[in-house]
Amino acid sequence: MRNVAIVGVGYCPVFVSKRNDVSIPEMISEAIHNAYLNCGLTPENVDAFTFGNMHTFEGVNMPHLWSIDHLTALGKPIMRIATGGTTGMSAFHCAYYHVASGLYDVVMTITFEKHSEGDAQVGLAGIITPEIMTVLSLGIDLTGGSGMGGLGGGSAGGISFQATSYLHHSGAGIEHIDAQAALERRNAAKNPYAHLKDPECTAEKIAQTPLVSYPIRYGHICPTTDGATVCILASEDKAAKIADKAAWIHAVANCTTDATTGNLIEGLITDPAEQMSCQLAAKRAYERAGIEDPRKEIDLVEIYNGFAHQTLMFLEKLGLCEVGEAHKMLERGETEIDGRLPVNASGGVVSTNSIGTSALNRVTECALQIMGKAEGGHQVPKKVRKALAHGWGGLMQYNTVTILGDAPLKR
Amino acid sequence: MDEKVAVVGINYAQGDDLGLTRERLCFQTVKGLLVQLGIDRHAIDSFILASNDFLEGRTISNVFEDGPVGAYLKDETKVEMDGINAVVYGALRILEGSYDTVMVVAHSLCGHQVSPYLQVQYSLDPTYDRQLGLLNELSGAALQARSYLRRNGLDEGWLDQAAARELAAGAANEKVTRPLQGMDEGKVGSSPFLYEPLRELHCYPPTDGACAIVLASAGKARELTDKPVWIKGFGSSIDSYYITHRDLTVSSSAAEAARRAYAMAGITDPEVQIGLAEISGLFAHQTPMLIEALGLAPEGEAPRGFAQGSFGREARLPVNPSGGALSAHPVCATGAVRVAEAFRQLRGEAGAVQAGEPRLAVAHGQDGLCMQQNTVLVLGI
Repeated sequence: MRNVAIVGVGYCPVFVSKRNDVSIPEMISEAIHNAYLNCGLTPENVDAFTFGNMHTFEGVNMPHLWSIDHLTALGKPIMRIATGGTTGMSAFHCAYYHVASGLYDVVMTITFEKHSEGDAQVGLAGIITPEIMTVLSLGIDLTGGSGMGGLGGGSAGGISFQATSYLHHSGAGIEHIDAQAALERRNAAKNPYAHLKDPECTAEKIAQTPLVSYPIRYGHICPTTDGATVCILASEDKAAKIADKAAWIHAVANCTTDATTGNLIEGLITDPAEQMSCQLAAKRAYERAGIEDPRKEIDLVEIYNGFAHQTLMFLEKLGLCEVGEAHKMLERGETEIDGRLPVNASGGVVSTNSIGTSALNRVTECALQIMGKAEGGHQVPKKVRKALAHGWGGLMQYNTVTILGDAPLKR
Repeated sequence: MDEKVAVVGINYAQGDDLGLTRERLCFQTVKGLLVQLGIDRHAIDSFILASNDFLEGRTISNVFEDGPVGAYLKDETKVEMDGINAVVYGALRILEGSYDTVMVVAHSLCGHQVSPYLQVQYSLDPTYDRQLGLLNELSGAALQARSYLRRNGLDEGWLDQAAARELAAGAANEKVTRPLQGMDEGKVGSSPFLYEPLRELHCYPPTDGACAIVLASAGKARELTDKPVWIKGFGSSIDSYYITHRDLTVSSSAAEAARRAYAMAGITDPEVQIGLAEISGLFAHQTPMLIEALGLAPEGEAPRGFAQGSFGREARLPVNPSGGALSAHPVCATGAVRVAEAFRQLRGEAGAVQAGEPRLAVAHGQDGLCMQQNTVLVLGI
């Protein structure tokens, strides 16, 4: 296998609730244009494309077909990937395999979501509709407590079970989720490509937002965002010629577990905070990247956190701290932009969630931090040598991990 | 590409109503293949699914297959395209070096649960094309059929011949949706119009189906089978969305995909070197168009080839001895089934539909309105 680098990143100019001024293909093409500007490449340089979004959110089936004329990809190979919340990183991994195979030198990953043209909660609730139908057909009452997970609306209802379990096992309290959300809103204020920004946000302010489904408050939840992100990958030889700065891919890994309704409805079968697939994906990624002690070697983390408790929970699951330690790291300020281990300096998914892009943004944010190109004041002061990007999704049981470095991995 | 990635086993099922849930269908298909290879799920490093959330009726549908296909606690991803692209992705993963085995599983239930035409309708521009309804899979295919007929000076009855040829081939294949016995031009020509000039039997049948394929690295392949079928090359390409921007009488993206695949496989004269083709022609005119695009006949010459029997089971270059997509089209699985059919032929295991002793085969899959996107894979033994 050969080394692969990220040589270019492009975002659409803003990530906001409603991009009424552009269509889906126009919004994507903005990010593509910016990616080319970012690294000085032109469409002729790109050998192949990968493409990701979740089409149930806008209701356009396989939208790469409709938007192809605006992707600079006519006549090129293009592969569409869709795996849920992780789609952006899954499409990125697909691009990595394209280059690492030795067959393609430069590959572009294109992701987007334009939530304002659809309804994310309807799409998400649709995940378990067949399960609900089955349960109802068996005569099981879903109107009581056990049904809340399924019927609480999209993912927020079900996620409350995960958050409760996390709090129970870690010893953290709801106030820590408030503080984590506040930290990310403040970080987002420094990121020009973030959606919900509040430079003065505090835990107290978040605590005043309404409770949606205990312990999840309105202020703990991601927005639905319109946005597009593009990433350009290149082989080692090519990167040396075309890139002034690059972030190197040291490992990609991905793991799933069985999706059962039990995950969602009161964790009857598995604990939705166990996240075995995250633990396994991280383990495989560390092995492939030659990382022996992630707590010492990883300098920066971007975690997929549709909900604020997940930042803390996944820090533990990724092996970056002991169980029950993440909220203490938060209390000590270690995860701030200028902390020992900056976590979600970008503001995370909880501040910006255009779903197709969200898991890719974790990777591109790590890459920009390594290159020293993070804009708007969210560049961390410390030197970033190795960074970990995490993606989460599926029916709460699907995780992706990417580890980046500031130099190619010696293989 | 020399002997680096092999197809070591295939298993598939197709029918107009298999009477199975998606989960059961995928489980049976994968389990059957594991048993056939004498391995269990732990021998598989990576899973690549090909399905479409729109057809599944739920978002993130891949996670519900993770249990049935045995992917839990393993690496699984989903290509939301025709399954032949999942085979390509599997090959890329093996070439990368982290994985020795990949299980590709492609499926859909379009036989009776979902109208297959909807998935193309919902892929159209949502503001103009979809709302007006004038442009849809059938009307697009009908325009394309007329363009092809006119360019080649053929009348509509010629479509009856082209369809009858494939349906007659499929009659011998126990694995297809409509093994119509005694099919001839007259019977095809008396089927009702779906969209002029296309009649029902010129068009693919709604089909349930799943196809599982195990790919392996060279070393692993020889452990798993005595007769590995090697992936020699692949390529894909895509045309403009706007059919007004395309020449509908040819498929330039299929031609480009084939050029890439042949270059990788070191094929310089496909018409001579290729010994078998399995092509996803969803409508009667598409198979001849694709025969030309894939360089298996000069442009405009496929109809003459049909008339001379050049692509029959007994010919030197059999095309779709399986009956092709006109005999079964499980959306998403169709291209993977083409790979599976080529695999059977190359190993001499195609039974009643065996077409000689091919050494080199080409398989093709497509997505989109009027074959917008095409992928070509070259296999050899």
